[in-house]
Amino acid sequence: MDLEFKFEIHKDSMGDNIRFYGNIDSHSEQPFEELSRKITGKRVVMDFSNTLRINSMGIAILLRSIKHIKSEKKSEIAIIGENKTNAMLFKITGVYTLTSQHAQF
Amino acid sequence: MSIRTFRYGDRGTVISVSGTVPRVDARCWTREWNVSSSMDKEVIIGQLQNLFDGKDVNHDFLGQRAELIVDEMLENALYSAPRDTEGKPLFIKGCVRELLADEKITLRCAFDGKQLLLEISDSWGNLAPETVELFLSLNDNDTDPESDRAGRGLFILWKFLDYFYVNINPGVDTTMGGVLSLFPVIVEKGE
Repeated sequence: MDLEFKFEIHKDSMGDNIRFYGNIDSHSEQPFEELSRKITGKRVVMDFSNTLRINSMGIAILLRSIKHIKSEKKSEIAIIGENKTNAMLFKITGVYTLTSQHAQF
Repeated sequence: MSIRTFRYGDRGTVISVSGTVPRVDARCWTREWNVSSSMDKEVIIGQLQNLFDGKDVNHDFLGQRAELIVDEMLENALYSAPRDTEGKPLFIKGCVRELLADEKITLRCAFDGKQLLLEISDSWGNLAPETVELFLSLNDNDTDPESDRAGRGLFILWKFLDYFYVNINPGVDTTMGGVLSLFPVIVEKGE
């Protein structure tokens, strides 16, 4: 699987569905800024099914992006598809406190 | 949070968060990498990944956690440890860099079939025990997650590793490590 980070946005009547691919780390900053600009839906689903590793820099970028989308776009954000390790990571770093629903482990 | 700090003269300072020395069977599989460049990170992680991938769900989960821990350890050694005389970082996170002439980073791992010991040493010795305590306590509150909170990498190591320890020999070297279990107690470590 390709380690390089990228994302896809699929828009439907329910909102914006974002699918993340690869690692989320210090190299993901610019794509996440682009992502924030592209969000228009009031309901945003972030799908981590194809995400590999997320390190502490990746968590910082993700938290910044989630906060920006919530405050600037007034969107609700849900997280799906995260693996067991990333679920632990989201829980201990507070990512889940900013999202409206998430998978339990 | 329970942190025990032991200072013993010029042999440095050991910070033991769990208060217990890691035990891994002496007959286990071991491996050591001497890092020469930031480009080595993905190579090392790839080699570690090959050890665990595809065996079963428990090994896959161990491999995932090991990748994260090694990522954080190497990022810390490559970008946080090197500081100038005023304490400012010498390198920007994520930049491609070669190790300096007198710089050394060594990553060690040992696996006995149930427990994976991971340990990294850098030749800086710039971390202070007070900084470790501050970083862990700063991040131990997930109700108001600041995006750019300092010390998150160290906090992740502490939360994921059993028997987390840091050994600081000021101005000489820093060693940190701990153990990942094949069968972790998720209720304790993940909450």
